[in-house]
Amino acid sequence: MIAEHGVRIWAALARRRRGLAKGWYKYSRNSLSVLGLVVLVLIGLTAGLAPYIAPYPEHAAAYTNFREAGLPPSKDHLFGTDRVGRDVLSRVIFGYRFSLLLGIVVLSLAVPSGVVLGLLGGYYNGTWIEVLIMRITDVFLAVPPLVLAMSIAAMLTPNLFNAMIAISLSWWPWYCRLVYSVTASLRNQFFVREAELTGASRMHILFKEILPNCFGPIMTKVTLDMGIAILMGASLSFIGLGAQPPTPDLGTMLADGAKRLPSEWWSTIFPALAIVMVILAFNLVGDGLRDVFAVEEV
Amino acid sequence: MADPILSVERLKKHFPTKLGLVKAVDGISLSVAAGETIGLVGESGSGKTTVAQCIVGIYPPTDGEIRFRGQPISRELRKRSKDLKREIRIVFQDPGSSLNPKRTISQILSVPLKVHRNARGRSRTAMIRNLLEMVELPPDEYLHKYPQSIGGGEKQMVAIARALATSPSFVVLDEPTSALDVSVQAKIINLLLELQTKLSLTYLFITHDLSLMRNVATRVAIMYLGKICEVAPTVEFFRNPLHPYTKMLLSSIPVVSEEEKALKPAKILSRGEIPSPVNVPPGCSFHLRCPMKMEICSEADPEMVEVEPDHLARCHLLSRRS
Amino acid sequence: MGMTSLLEIRGLHVGFKIFDGLLKVLAGVELAIGEGERVGLVGETGCGKTTTVKSVLRVLPIPPARLDGGEILYRAQDILKMKPREVRHLRRTELTAIFQDPLQALNPVFTVGTQLRDIVLDSLAAAGQRLTRKEITARCVQALAETGMPDPERIMSNYPIQLSGGMRQRVCIAEALIKSAKLLLADEPTTNLDVTIQDQILRKLDELVEEKGMSVLMITHSLGVVMDLTERVYIMYAGTIVEEGRTEELFARPLHPYTQGLMKSVPKLTGEGISKGIAGRIPNYLEPPSGCRFHPRCEHAMPICEEERPPLFSTGVNRRVACFLYQRS
Repeated sequence: MIAEHGVRIWAALARRRRGLAKGWYKYSRNSLSVLGLVVLVLIGLTAGLAPYIAPYPEHAAAYTNFREAGLPPSKDHLFGTDRVGRDVLSRVIFGYRFSLLLGIVVLSLAVPSGVVLGLLGGYYNGTWIEVLIMRITDVFLAVPPLVLAMSIAAMLTPNLFNAMIAISLSWWPWYCRLVYSVTASLRNQFFVREAELTGASRMHILFKEILPNCFGPIMTKVTLDMGIAILMGASLSFIGLGAQPPTPDLGTMLADGAKRLPSEWWSTIFPALAIVMVILAFNLVGDGLRDVFAVEEV
Repeated sequence: MADPILSVERLKKHFPTKLGLVKAVDGISLSVAAGETIGLVGESGSGKTTVAQCIVGIYPPTDGEIRFRGQPISRELRKRSKDLKREIRIVFQDPGSSLNPKRTISQILSVPLKVHRNARGRSRTAMIRNLLEMVELPPDEYLHKYPQSIGGGEKQMVAIARALATSPSFVVLDEPTSALDVSVQAKIINLLLELQTKLSLTYLFITHDLSLMRNVATRVAIMYLGKICEVAPTVEFFRNPLHPYTKMLLSSIPVVSEEEKALKPAKILSRGEIPSPVNVPPGCSFHLRCPMKMEICSEADPEMVEVEPDHLARCHLLSRRS
Repeated sequence: MGMTSLLEIRGLHVGFKIFDGLLKVLAGVELAIGEGERVGLVGETGCGKTTTVKSVLRVLPIPPARLDGGEILYRAQDILKMKPREVRHLRRTELTAIFQDPLQALNPVFTVGTQLRDIVLDSLAAAGQRLTRKEITARCVQALAETGMPDPERIMSNYPIQLSGGMRQRVCIAEALIKSAKLLLADEPTTNLDVTIQDQILRKLDELVEEKGMSVLMITHSLGVVMDLTERVYIMYAGTIVEEGRTEELFARPLHPYTQGLMKSVPKLTGEGISKGIAGRIPNYLEPPSGCRFHPRCEHAMPICEEERPPLFSTGVNRRVACFLYQRS
């Protein structure tokens, strides 16, 4: 009895592992995606282990040392120091923590709500439910996301958490649209028809028949969007509507450094490069995932 | 015909489109006796699939009535009873799109069992195994596979098992083998015929393949542009086809032996295109392609006449004669 | 064969590299088409028919496909060894093809006329000739009319999407035949069409090919179509040729157990019922059966079938079968 169970679980694991191996085979055919993944893992590790890696962890908080302010890159300070004497490298490393946190929180708020609304809108295609959901979505989509996020953030107290809320509110409509269009086309597939004719419940049809078929496009978009959400968080911080000093946010650092361009270029260029790198990495990984989820032709 | 299990009376299904009203099904009447296999044959655009979809409840008919065991059944799926959904089942043409690619065979088969037989846990697993064995797929090998990793014929076997999971009495087969190779088709047809006797099923078999119907159906009905033009018991139908369209269809079939060639009616060369159902010609819808066209054909739509017992056809040539 | 071969495929092996390993699809395909001859290639889904055609046209994607041996001789020249430029020239002048799905073969954003004219211009350029615009248009209209297209002048200015399936296939036929090629490869040209339309198109194709004296390789799964249209036929199973012969003779008296099973599976108008089909299924190309690829499904299998690949044994004039049952000791 127990042995039988064991065999079944083992078989299930083996099937899963084979699936993963095949996924990796397709992913790794694009060497840029592999590079993106490596960079992403490194960024993740850096952010996770920030207190142990950063040369001056205390510089990530309120710290001033005007004697070392505005130093160019050197052996002691690889990325130089900012106008109050904090080590830019340490702050960039801690900055990644906030960036990744922002991306994760934003998408975990925006994706589920957008997906559920999209499923409903797509499934009830042609009824008032679709009209209601999709027109509200259209209203949100009509305003450029950054402007929308800015106005929402401006209404709230400017801090990192509220910036996350503001970005999430401008983000869900994109997922709603995506899932809506996938669902609307799956709706007429015979397997959905069959479930209806059998008399399966709506919940079953929406979440067990349709949703699993949306995972591919959702996952791809999530990875591509992580980078953009991070950029948006940085933008809000840049104009003072997001993280507030002395939080070592990449956007805030950029805003800070920009006042001293071009002479103290290092306090702007390095945070900017950090942002570019994380966005690029997420994009490359997204491309790779698209290959994994693409339908096989041979 | 005593006691039809399903009858369709003056069924109409019109779809409004941007190009105009598509009269996909335009007043067909048909009754199916329990235990028989009726073949509904037609080319693309004839409306044969729409008939099937109205019967199972995918589309509500525009007009007409469908009766199951003498009782009229509601047009809309939502208003149909659970028991009716259990009794009338369908197997779709394309097993690729009728099986969810993200669900395993065992998950796919569990849905009808959950809904209609309230089966859970171990008893459900046992039922799924039985279903797979019934369609001659070894359960241990197939239970946890995904549809994309099995062949087209096997997919269709799973779709058949799913249809039969609710122990229905009436099964609509919508071109179940037209996407498959002949050797696979042969296997599936034999299985379907076996299951029909074992489970006393009635089949409405929709297809474009007349040679297949010769070997499977007890009666054949031919559809052209939303209307039935000829119905007859199979043997009689092939012995004495009456409607010019039927003859054209029969003489167009590519065959492989001399014996078969001898059975085809004198060659009526096929000509013309099948008109679009948005633009059905006035009078008899076949008159544009008909080699025996008369003046009346472009003016009046012929009535169905019973030429021989149980052999009906809808053609002015025949109504003149009788 | 008596005639000289226009196209000859010798021992063609083609594989596909995928994650799980190498799919050994074609395993020694042998096929010849004489000048002016019409040959059928019959087999079921996944038997390698289309891979064979693609190899002849040199349009296989490499990788994942890879050539593992054999030669394809066109007028005694190996297509597989030609330079891309020579292959292109061959495709512009001598070889032509019709595929199953005309919507994929036709460009949706150009009119039928534009597409036909392009082909004419291209073949003229290849032959180093010139014609006036009017002459080219006239030639296109004539090509369409030859396929039995109603109202060809009007169709010239239509887009493919405006035509029915049968008319699209007629356009494809016009495109294939307008450049007066020598060999036509027709890959399931009427599979998606209704029987009455299929009948019209096959009759027309038959006439045109006869008139132009072309050679045809008709690839299909429909035994009836091959019966109507070809003189000789090859039966393909799992990447190998299992039987060849004159069409009528082969169909009247199939020799290979696979062909016999196939013939019994075809539903017939005589209504004798349908056999149980062929037990088992097409083999996995990752690990195809040793020896004869059909032996695991064959009811006459002998010990030798598992060990050795049966060569094509000759059993009469133009009649060969790859089965040890017909080996003369």
